[in-house]
Amino acid sequence: MMNDMRKIDRDTAVSDTKIQARDVQVFYGDAHAIKDVSVDILDKTVTAFIGPSGCGKSTFLRCLNRMNDTIDIARVEGDIQIDGSDIYDPSIDPVQLRAKVGMVFQKPNPFPKSIYDNIAYGPRIHGLARTKAELDEIVERSLRRGAIWDEVKDRLHEPGTGLSGGQQQRLCIARAVATEPEILLMDEPCSALDPIATAQVEDLIDELRRNYSVVIVTHSMQQAARVSQKTAFFHLGNLVEYRETGQIFTNPEDPRTESYITGRIG
Amino acid sequence: MTTFVFVTLLCVSMLGYALNRQAATKLRASGTRLHSVPGYHGLYSLLSTVVPVVVLIVLWLVLQGPLIDRFTMSGLPAGSLDEFDAGGRQLILTEIKSISRGRIFGNPEAWKVDAADRYVRMHVVAGWLLLGIVIVASLGIVGLARTRVAADFRARHGVERITSGLMLFCSTIAIFTTLGIIAALLFESIRFFERVPITEFFFGLNWEPQIPLREDQIAAEGAFGWIPVFLGTLVITAVALFLAVPVGLLSAIYLNEFAPSRLRAFAKPVLEILAGVPTVVYGFFAILVVAPAIRSFGASLGIPVSPNTALAAGSVMGIMLIPFISSFTDDALSAVPKSLRDGALALGATRAETVLNVLFPAAIPGIVGGILLAISRAIGETMIVVMAAGLIASLTINPLDSVTTVTVQIVTLLIGDTSFDNPKTLAAFALGMMLFVVTLIINVFALRIVRKYREAYD
Repeated sequence: MMNDMRKIDRDTAVSDTKIQARDVQVFYGDAHAIKDVSVDILDKTVTAFIGPSGCGKSTFLRCLNRMNDTIDIARVEGDIQIDGSDIYDPSIDPVQLRAKVGMVFQKPNPFPKSIYDNIAYGPRIHGLARTKAELDEIVERSLRRGAIWDEVKDRLHEPGTGLSGGQQQRLCIARAVATEPEILLMDEPCSALDPIATAQVEDLIDELRRNYSVVIVTHSMQQAARVSQKTAFFHLGNLVEYRETGQIFTNPEDPRTESYITGRIG
Repeated sequence: MTTFVFVTLLCVSMLGYALNRQAATKLRASGTRLHSVPGYHGLYSLLSTVVPVVVLIVLWLVLQGPLIDRFTMSGLPAGSLDEFDAGGRQLILTEIKSISRGRIFGNPEAWKVDAADRYVRMHVVAGWLLLGIVIVASLGIVGLARTRVAADFRARHGVERITSGLMLFCSTIAIFTTLGIIAALLFESIRFFERVPITEFFFGLNWEPQIPLREDQIAAEGAFGWIPVFLGTLVITAVALFLAVPVGLLSAIYLNEFAPSRLRAFAKPVLEILAGVPTVVYGFFAILVVAPAIRSFGASLGIPVSPNTALAAGSVMGIMLIPFISSFTDDALSAVPKSLRDGALALGATRAETVLNVLFPAAIPGIVGGILLAISRAIGETMIVVMAAGLIASLTINPLDSVTTVTVQIVTLLIGDTSFDNPKTLAAFALGMMLFVVTLIINVFALRIVRKYREAYD
């Protein structure tokens, strides 16, 4: 079920902390992009990051699967633990980390391969399937989870780039869940989609909450209110407020949060 | 004289520019709304003067020489040419011309000296005539253009039409030159095939283009089968690609994906310098360094190696092609959207897996195009093989043997004293024709591949 903005008592049954971040700092060269961010992200929960453009919400999201490693000038300080182990510890292989923490990007980015190969790519490189039949099963299960199976089951061997934008994005979500991650990071997954495709993806996010801890960055406060249980408001690199979604939208504590959700800044 | 003519034209057309511009400015100052700004009225006058008059001058200069020659010959005293054939008359004309330039050998007959005088006078008259015509024509056009200055005259459209016509002309030059080259090759090749049966050329397994130059000379009949020659080209091209493709691809992938940015900033320009080395220098390198090295290495293993092997020429050519392939690959890899790279990395792919499974397939069209263009360069490459490959066409695919190539044969057939009506010389054109056809096919193929798969992603 979609959440309703007016509902304050939400389905936030106490669950375990999945990601624990303490005093995280991110620098791009000399620019201090993230300042002292500490946050606990729960398992089996949708957490939304909102805030004006350039506030650091995407940057922080990319810390959680070490995608900032691919940017030469980015430097991350502080402590981020997933299930109690420090992901920036030298003994952690970012490749294995990313298999555990999936990511969906702003713009759909299917590989120029067939739909089947797009999904099978992750399981193949991580050796998740021993036989062709197992791989077929993973592909079908992932596409079903991505809520796109019925639309593509008859053309699995056509290129993924031939799908519509909304289908491509659901394909990318299916691709991300195919590697059996525990956490799914979504960086403005609906910003390139029309309202119908957005509604489909939002339904999907609500489904995914059953199995994963989902973190979604969004520009749309309505979207945050619709899909998330917890919301974090970022402003100028600071985490201003982090509470249950219903509370943050109806009863914000910080004046900056209030200005943003009422449309005065941002 | 010609310079003076051009300077005059320039002055007159500048005058036209100033006149029209001034007239239009005045018109605008009087409160009329002009269709075109005054500058366009000026340019209209300038261009419509310069373009036709330059065409006139060029035509005049082209036609003037042959016409004056003809007048000179027809003005000779009656009967003085009776005993000469066409060649003899040509010689007399040449003699008259050299007398007119003051180079007199022996004691020429009086009528020749007279003719030389007339030749000089005609040139002077023609020069003045040209100047007069240019002045009249350009002033006429300037005056005509001046009368057209009016509020609703569309000078800008006129200028645009003339400039687009000029651009069209420039772009057709390359096309017509290509057609001309094809026609020349085709014409000479047909002459070759009149003397040597076409089946011998295409299916013959011997290439021994020795033809007696004089009737009484004792020499072999000559054999013109292009297969061994072309096989040599193929062997050397294969050796070159065997070296250049893997090295070029891997170095591009390394520089694009793995190298620290400082190394990349240093290595890329160095690779591009390699592309700028003249091929004759590569030729030195091949005969002085690579060939002896291969030979002594072969000797130490007890393998007989000929002094100018296909391996030496081919591997040096391969080095020449490395920057070619690596820069094409680099461009193709850089053109792959960053989102694809991020997508693969976020799935937990290593960098190597990302390159191999995602970037490389997406970049394939650019890479294949680069390799095919490298092949046609290798086939047409001349200097390295002239210096480092052999001259004897042998039917072999052993890279340790000496082979010759199509380009080497063309060069050797056309060097030195040659007469242009025997099969030995004409064979060069037939070979050139084949080379042209083969590289054309490869280029068309390369372009098709690049076009067909260019939009595979995004």
